[in-house]
Amino acid sequence: MSTVRHHVIIGSGVAGNQAAETLREHDPDSRITMITISRLPFFNRYDLPRVFRGERDWRRFIIYPAAYYRDNRITLRRATRVVNVDSASQILKLEHKESIHFDSLLVASGAGAYLPEELSEFRPLLHGFGAFRDAVTVADALPKGGHAILLGGDTIGLDLARTLLDTGHRVTLVAGPYTFWPHEVTPEERPQYIAALQRMGIVVVEAQSRGGIAAIEPGAKGLSARKLTFEDGSELAGDVVMPFFGIAPSLDFMLGSGVDIERGLLVTPNLRTTNENIYAAGDVCQIWTDKARRYCFYHGWKNVRAMGELAARNITGANEPWVPTQDEALHLTADGKIQSPFWEYQ
Amino acid sequence: MGDMPFRPHAAAASDAAVGSVFVSDDPRDIGWVKQNVPCQNACPAGTNVPAYIRSIVESRYGRSYEINREANVLPGVLGRICSRACEDACRHGWPGNGEPVAICHLKRVAADLKDAGHRITERLYAPTGKRIAIIGAGPAGVAAAHDLSLFGHDVVIFEREERPGGMLRYGIPEFRLPRNILETELHNALRLGVQLRTGIAVGNEPGQVRVSQLLADYDAVLVATGCMAATPIPLAGEWEKREPTEVPGIEYGLDFLMAMHRGVKKTVGRRVAVIGAGFTALDCARVALRLGGEEVTIHIRTAEEYIPITQEEIFEAKREGVRIKGLRSPMQFVLDDEGKVAGVEFAQNRLGGWREGGRRIAIPIEGSEFIEPCDTVIVAIGQQTVHDFSDLALQLDRWKNARLGDNGMTSQPGLFAAGDYVSGASTVVQAVGHGRKIARRIDAWLLGRERHRQVVRIEPVDQPLRERAYDFIPRQHMPTAPLNKRGKSLACEVETGMNQTTAQEEAKRCYLCHLRYQIDVDRCIYCRACIEVAPRSCIKLVGGVEIGADGSYGKLLETKEWNRVGAIWIDNNECIRCGACYNVCPVKCITISRCELTEVEVEA
Repeated sequence: MSTVRHHVIIGSGVAGNQAAETLREHDPDSRITMITISRLPFFNRYDLPRVFRGERDWRRFIIYPAAYYRDNRITLRRATRVVNVDSASQILKLEHKESIHFDSLLVASGAGAYLPEELSEFRPLLHGFGAFRDAVTVADALPKGGHAILLGGDTIGLDLARTLLDTGHRVTLVAGPYTFWPHEVTPEERPQYIAALQRMGIVVVEAQSRGGIAAIEPGAKGLSARKLTFEDGSELAGDVVMPFFGIAPSLDFMLGSGVDIERGLLVTPNLRTTNENIYAAGDVCQIWTDKARRYCFYHGWKNVRAMGELAARNITGANEPWVPTQDEALHLTADGKIQSPFWEYQ
Repeated sequence: MGDMPFRPHAAAASDAAVGSVFVSDDPRDIGWVKQNVPCQNACPAGTNVPAYIRSIVESRYGRSYEINREANVLPGVLGRICSRACEDACRHGWPGNGEPVAICHLKRVAADLKDAGHRITERLYAPTGKRIAIIGAGPAGVAAAHDLSLFGHDVVIFEREERPGGMLRYGIPEFRLPRNILETELHNALRLGVQLRTGIAVGNEPGQVRVSQLLADYDAVLVATGCMAATPIPLAGEWEKREPTEVPGIEYGLDFLMAMHRGVKKTVGRRVAVIGAGFTALDCARVALRLGGEEVTIHIRTAEEYIPITQEEIFEAKREGVRIKGLRSPMQFVLDDEGKVAGVEFAQNRLGGWREGGRRIAIPIEGSEFIEPCDTVIVAIGQQTVHDFSDLALQLDRWKNARLGDNGMTSQPGLFAAGDYVSGASTVVQAVGHGRKIARRIDAWLLGRERHRQVVRIEPVDQPLRERAYDFIPRQHMPTAPLNKRGKSLACEVETGMNQTTAQEEAKRCYLCHLRYQIDVDRCIYCRACIEVAPRSCIKLVGGVEIGADGSYGKLLETKEWNRVGAIWIDNNECIRCGACYNVCPVKCITISRCELTEVEVEA
């Protein structure tokens, strides 16, 4: 019987790729399979705003060439959806009915944009920004000098707002509790950060002051493509409406797997789930934190990359606890500009 | 159906001419249906789900309604608020098969789309002269009253509230269960001569009716009072002995809903904390939003994945603005200077093992306490039975519920019990199913014999009733009222019902698990064509088959060696009834038979 272990990684983002690299280093003879629902191999999500600067060649977003995976004997399976994980028998099932056995499984499937349930009926009229294709679609829908309405905010949306303003577009932010997500901003601090956004050129509308969002509709012929109506009857017209309400872990396929879940996969400080063969890393997991006495999410690419590396080390025999590596505080620069450490990427 | 010929076992079905119907009381056939029709087996009322869904495909909504009504007298009600154990069991929801069929929504379709002048079918027995008193007009009491009146008994229901329905009327908000639907189905259930005496309490207080008096006056008495007392919240410290509801702003969920439905004007504060993880907690939260609560949060001990509420209900609650926060146990209430509630102190939980019934254990973590500020607390952690209404002592089980003998009787001769009063807090469909079951026990006790027995009705079917394309239809969604229509209305029904097109698309998804595909091995030429076209590994070469204790077939003993092949066998557990094998078979050795659990009358 073969002693070669089969490490399966679900997700090919920062955590998954870092884990694959570390697994190859620590377990040179193993089989490594990386499964991703994305059609593109590992690309830099933080670079997606470049699409609005005219960069439309997907190859320029790719982090590793195909040769990288070949040379490191990492089987990368793109456009492949995992539908079910049977943790007891260590088998995962793919949408096309194929079953894959694993010796170790790392769930690094990340998270998708969270859309509050009350806005779900307007989903067909909203533009997403999670994948390269989404970015191209919204860039095509936004005319030169056009008006983008960003709902919520969050650091991904605010980062995009910087690019949109820089490329001559108008940006209105419908602000709310998610505006600075995942940063925790106190009510006392909030006005100065809102003011900083306004200084950047963003028009800020506090959703609560208008009673919340009542409807999003297609604009009338000849006018802007979208019309947003607030509960107080006031309206806002824009070419695109984009929701930015933070992220929600992508783990549908783990439901019923026998692994504990709250909002994310619950993991011990060494990133192991309640199944000894299954680990999790990145935005998909909630890590038990002794200091806070609760399960916490940690975001930002530095944290996520460190999680991928740690999970891989622990899969291959280490037993080390997670230590956050990233500054999570929102800052104002000396010249009054807002700066999030999550915008720093190398 | 009493005139149908009996034949021993469905294996003989392949020999029967198409169109002939027979019934079997062979345990192997009964076992086959229980094993292979998981939705019906999971339904506490035993509803023949594939049959009523097939009727919807055929646009026979009235028939679909009647099939439902054979098992439960409240299809329109349960089509809205059922807990849907059937959907958890549905073969379409098994790994790799997609999502379960929307069985509950289709039940509502049958009720909604049947003709306005639909004729209800009832099988009445001649009067027996026996008189039965039922205490409680909730789902168990009403279901039992209906069946007992069909059996020819004179039934009187004593109900303490002003209107019948029990938890259906007083515990479930109108935006989930419109009262006109409830009224109609209660009326249909009780119109066969059941006397309904509302506003009459059975108890020990002056002016109340004694249980012992009922026993003296009637041939049998059925207690179906449900679980009408809120479960006290277990807290430590000073709250261990203190009654939380004495604090302004703290209320039990069941009391909150019942008072509101009795007509008491209820109010809530701006921030509402609901503690609990069941339908009552969710209903309280949604009511609180409609009463003006701005920040309504449900606090649960485990996580959303493990709470016994359908995903659709959770989604709709969230859509309306309810937030759910998990992994927290209430430790104590926090009061302000005026003695009003100002918050709840919780401890962070971790998940432990599994409790009986599939729920998770939550373990509070020492030193992890934190406070959630709020203005109103609604505690909805469960309900329990009370026995103080009875002047007769009953033997109770370890959960303090009435202990029943095999004949459905309590420790008092002639006194029976049904529904939540026996099982503890359960679901409406469980109460209906149990009420019906106990009605039969009462009838058997009164007459000294069973009048029905269970059999399998077996009918050859001359073609597959499904197309392979049906397997690719996605689950159809229940349309809902837009948020701006719901507003603050307690009466605007949230789920608006499927139209015919949507309903039939959804109905086509049902695998019709009651269809039994069999290969006649004597005629099979082992060409393997059926194996080639099978979309799943449902047709197997077997060397033998395990036989269950009741004689039913168990695990197939597969083989790949031709010299060991004893038969080519359709694994009905894997089969999705697509009909591909039937269509391709060159010698037509595959037969299909419809196998349905039913009952035949037993002659005296």
